[in-house]
Amino acid sequence: MNVLFGLFSAMLIGATPILLAAIGGTFTFYAGIFNIAMEGMMLVGAFCAVLGSFFLHSWFLGILCAVAGALVMAGIFVLFAVRLHTDEFLTGIALNLFAVGLTTFLLRDIFHVKGAFTDAGIRAIPAVKLPLIDDIPFLGRLLSGYNAIVYVAALVTVLSAFVIFRTRFGLRLRAAGYNAVCLSSSGVPASTIRIWSLIVCGVCCGLAGAYLSLGSVRLFAENMSAGRGWISLAAVILVSGNPWGIAVISLLFGFFDGLTVFLQGSRIPTQFTAMIPYLATLVSLYFYSVRKRKQA
Amino acid sequence: MRKQVLSGLLGVLAAFVIGALVLLFQGFNPVTTYGALLQYSLLSASGFAATVTRAVPLILTGLSASIAFASGPVNLGQPGQLIMGALGVTLVGLFVRLPPVFLIPLCILASLLGGALWSGLAALLKRAFAMDEFIVTLMLNFIADYFALWVITYPLFDPSALSPMTRPISTAAWLPDLGGVNTSVLFMVFAAVVCWLIMSRGRSGYEWRMTGQNSLFARIGGCKVDANYVRVMLVTGALAGLAGGLMVMGGPHRFVKGLGANYAWDGIMIAVVAGSGVSGTFLYGLLFSALQQGAIGMELVTAVPSEFIDVLQAVIVLVVVAGRVSLNMVFDWLATRRKLKESAE
Repeated sequence: MNVLFGLFSAMLIGATPILLAAIGGTFTFYAGIFNIAMEGMMLVGAFCAVLGSFFLHSWFLGILCAVAGALVMAGIFVLFAVRLHTDEFLTGIALNLFAVGLTTFLLRDIFHVKGAFTDAGIRAIPAVKLPLIDDIPFLGRLLSGYNAIVYVAALVTVLSAFVIFRTRFGLRLRAAGYNAVCLSSSGVPASTIRIWSLIVCGVCCGLAGAYLSLGSVRLFAENMSAGRGWISLAAVILVSGNPWGIAVISLLFGFFDGLTVFLQGSRIPTQFTAMIPYLATLVSLYFYSVRKRKQA
Repeated sequence: MRKQVLSGLLGVLAAFVIGALVLLFQGFNPVTTYGALLQYSLLSASGFAATVTRAVPLILTGLSASIAFASGPVNLGQPGQLIMGALGVTLVGLFVRLPPVFLIPLCILASLLGGALWSGLAALLKRAFAMDEFIVTLMLNFIADYFALWVITYPLFDPSALSPMTRPISTAAWLPDLGGVNTSVLFMVFAAVVCWLIMSRGRSGYEWRMTGQNSLFARIGGCKVDANYVRVMLVTGALAGLAGGLMVMGGPHRFVKGLGANYAWDGIMIAVVAGSGVSGTFLYGLLFSALQQGAIGMELVTAVPSEFIDVLQAVIVLVVVAGRVSLNMVFDWLATRRKLKESAE
């Protein structure tokens, strides 16, 4: 029983950053932007979270810094891809590399360390006990007591499904991806909608980054996003952007991520268990391709 | 071509100006910093030799990405292919005993095969199941990384070492230094010339480039698009594998943890900034190599951390790529204005 509880919580913890980044990615997906910069936005977010939390002595300001940092990255994306019409794919690749370079440089320049920075002065994001559910015996243990961002991620998922499918902004967002010329000629500039979608993506990736560095740990390590942005991109593509589908896929990846932690004590070498999330991506891509081929 | 050179020069210049502003903002002196950068990369004999040697993996992975991007397949798997190539060389170098004349070609072959195996796997998944190579190659990077880490931690672990690495490969497979420059440079230059011949002078290169620009046009024109796809994937994988192999043979002579950790992504960056051209890749490879080599000296002389170069590289990529598009718009505007004037007269 304890193992099941552990696995369940490991699943939620592993799913949260991927879910948040993928929800951000789905906004740009619907707006018709080939955005692969989630990895970089998340990494900058993770760094800025530690920066803010360490110097301003507050986890909340840390989160705000993370969002601000990711928004700066989104702003650069807007400047190059939307305003200057640089290729989105190339902009994304350059931004991801810029994020790696910038964070390692600043890690060295500000904290004077190489590799990773951790300090007792970094405030972590606290866990939250859900007021009513916490008292219910079984459910309370299952659902309560997680990091605040985990609940934010769940909220963001529901909210994004509502915004994308039930609001005027959502309609325009999907129109920007479906037929940008038509949208622009009807009086709503598609580029404005795209800029907003990138802003939303920046906020989500900032939260994901803050969760990485201030969630279960309190440190920033070089390249600590470790491909989660790419996996979230795969999640978006696999379900063609549907937020509910993204939630399911993210939970699946979270499960395999949790499994990785769980199998660490077993006889399987850690190098192989660490491969699991990436193998899972390949396997789900396989099922996606087979299904798509059947439909065609 | 002249436009390319102009936009490249302007872009690099602008990036250096932005870099100088960053340095000023951080309280460093940009002139001494750039001076040290130049001194330790190009202006001193030892620095220049090290720059050229360092350019080997950069240019080879850059060529791999360039040829792939120019021909259509989005092969982002250079990091993994590099590792598999290096692993191939390590296996041959550890277990085969032959004189250098035979062992060195065999090792080169092993590195090509190792890289091609890994990119071939992605090509196979694409051909058999229509799985997008863009995500597949990315995921295979992580898998190759962990696989290599396992190989050097358990089966091929050198018990006398403190961190995961293999025993040194047979000395017969070592590539010697000539006047400070490692002979792996010769292999790299040879590979680059072959790439240039294929892409600019060969029929297959023409077919590949046509497919990259418009695969429907290429198909109607009679190109075997699917077979070409597999060929491009295998060739670009082999190039990245060669980069890894030469790194082992010329450098530490063994597979150490974190081998080529950054070089392969730098290769993608170089391909992007060079607009997927072979000669451009060669030149930008040298530039980035000079920056990275000079960074070591820069850190010694000034207090600027060497990671500053990582930022500068990314800024160069962004500015040059964006500049190319904007400059083209300016050129178009100028051309239109000239035509309008002519028609008005």
